[in-house]
Amino acid sequence: MNTEAISKLTRRDFITRGSAGAGMLLGAPAILKAETAAAPSDEIRVGFIGCGKQHEVLFNAMVNVPGIRYVAACDIMKARLGRTFSAIKSRFDYNINRYTDVEEMLEKEQGNMDAVFVATPDFWHAPHTIMALDAGYNVYCEKMMSHDINEARNMVKAMDRSGKLCQIGHQRRSNPRYRYVLNELLQKHNIFGPIININGQWNRALSSSQDIVSKPEILPDAETLRRYGFNKGSDKKLDEAELRHRFLNWRFYTALSGGPISDLGAHQIDIFNWFLGAQPKSVMASGGRSYFKDREHFDNVMCVFDFDAPQGNARAFYQVLTTTSAGGGYFESFMGTQGTLEISEREAYTNIYKESGAENGALWDEMVARGFLRKQSAGVAAGGSDAIASYESAPPDKYALPGGLDKPPHQPHIENFINALHGKEKLTCDARHALESEAPIYWVNPAAESRETIHFTNQHLHT
Amino acid sequence: MANDTQDQDLGYTLGMLTLRIWLAIRAIQTGIEKFAGTGTAAKAVNIDGAANQYGLTEAASYKVYAFSNYQGVPGPLYDKFASEPLIPGWGLDLYNIILGPTLLILGFTLLLGIATRYTLFAMGLLYTSLTFGLILIKQDAGIAWLGTHIIMIAAALVLAKYNRFTVLKKW
Repeated sequence: MNTEAISKLTRRDFITRGSAGAGMLLGAPAILKAETAAAPSDEIRVGFIGCGKQHEVLFNAMVNVPGIRYVAACDIMKARLGRTFSAIKSRFDYNINRYTDVEEMLEKEQGNMDAVFVATPDFWHAPHTIMALDAGYNVYCEKMMSHDINEARNMVKAMDRSGKLCQIGHQRRSNPRYRYVLNELLQKHNIFGPIININGQWNRALSSSQDIVSKPEILPDAETLRRYGFNKGSDKKLDEAELRHRFLNWRFYTALSGGPISDLGAHQIDIFNWFLGAQPKSVMASGGRSYFKDREHFDNVMCVFDFDAPQGNARAFYQVLTTTSAGGGYFESFMGTQGTLEISEREAYTNIYKESGAENGALWDEMVARGFLRKQSAGVAAGGSDAIASYESAPPDKYALPGGLDKPPHQPHIENFINALHGKEKLTCDARHALESEAPIYWVNPAAESRETIHFTNQHLHT
Repeated sequence: MANDTQDQDLGYTLGMLTLRIWLAIRAIQTGIEKFAGTGTAAKAVNIDGAANQYGLTEAASYKVYAFSNYQGVPGPLYDKFASEPLIPGWGLDLYNIILGPTLLILGFTLLLGIATRYTLFAMGLLYTSLTFGLILIKQDAGIAWLGTHIIMIAAALVLAKYNRFTVLKKW
């Protein structure tokens, strides 16, 4: 597949269009250009923008997807770039071109690259995605679309303007387990009854929430980090150590990211909106710097969304905690009058319950007989001398999904992107649909700061 | 009196042999495990008597050995060592490459009885190097476990003059 002819993108064009600020995009030379072999015409030729941890997650999920040819990678940290080069060389036995400047990569790979995967810090998602779309490339960009809703809106505009595909990395949208429960259990058979309440969480232990550290000698220098905007939002001139802390821990800074509610909550609040088929009408929230007192973002956030969904009104509670892993990890729980779906990207956290007095008990039995569900156990009362009969509800029966996913969680989403490039499928989460779902999330931190309920209007949520 | 000495020598000989076999098996199997990975076999789940269209599968995982699975230093430990200022990146990469083969070579050399004293000494150095890494990342249980290995190696060196069933007795 060959990239269509595009208009030449100059450095001046991008600085004018981009919102990350002039001075951030001054080019650094490519550090090495290696020999590359021509790809067969039916292969999608892929480049990487950003080669950090999330890139590794994506790459490890991509390696089993057929029909991909890796051609280039870009990162301002040469050690990461070298790791990506080596990983591709050792697995596929060919070389890719390496760049330390995105703009240079997009210019030089014209005609040699069809799509890019953007896995840079959140504040670079929009500039990199817009730059790549305008240069004629298809884009897979990690979520959250941006730390700023207006930049996310600009991504949608760039997708529309370019006519290129732009998939956002809400990978649950392509996960067979999520698609199955939405289509079959919630919509077609409606076994849970009307969903009245939703509860979701991502609880992460202190040990997983600490500052990231690295050897100073492999990190970019202060001048490079300033050039690429890691001093954003600071009034003073930051020294090299401070800039490097921001480079490794950009998720802690309000000018560089949306914080935990965006990093972790975005995946799950997306599912609330997707499954209900509606955007919320309001949000109230509370947050605090309760343990990590020096961080700019709240370390713990709790929020409640109100919905007027097609099936009726509902409310959704969500919490992101970075100070404990107790409480069952991460999941989304949809509580209907007849049963509850507790689903997670982790199969281990996924449970299905039928209310003891469910009026549609015959339907549940039929679903088990036909293979849509597996019954695991009948509800057993906890008992004990402290149980007061008049307070107790009979416990629900427990069920399970009939199967799972035998691939890394990100692989189906990448397969969907590749198949869409071949014209075989539609994207499951293009930029417009992603922003429809992400838009309410941008208002959680402001609601927590102001301690006031935000009633959404089109101005808040439009794409 | 002579019988007592012979009995004592037999005890030392068997003691040495036991230590040799234990330490050899320990090193060989640890080396082999560096090549272990997990394979999965999956089949589509049937719903209404036909394979489902969503891609839901029933998976069964199994252990598999392959050269492509090789990882000398396990991933989580590698990441911790990589952020240690006293461990240079090149050194860690080199160690990652040689650790598995070194364990296998030392294990087989010890099992066959080739230059047993020097093999034991080299094995002691190897376990000491592992101990150094664990000290840096404060893995006290692992340090104690390796300390037990060192004691066994030292005991084997003390008993080395009773070493029998060897391919190369010298050294």
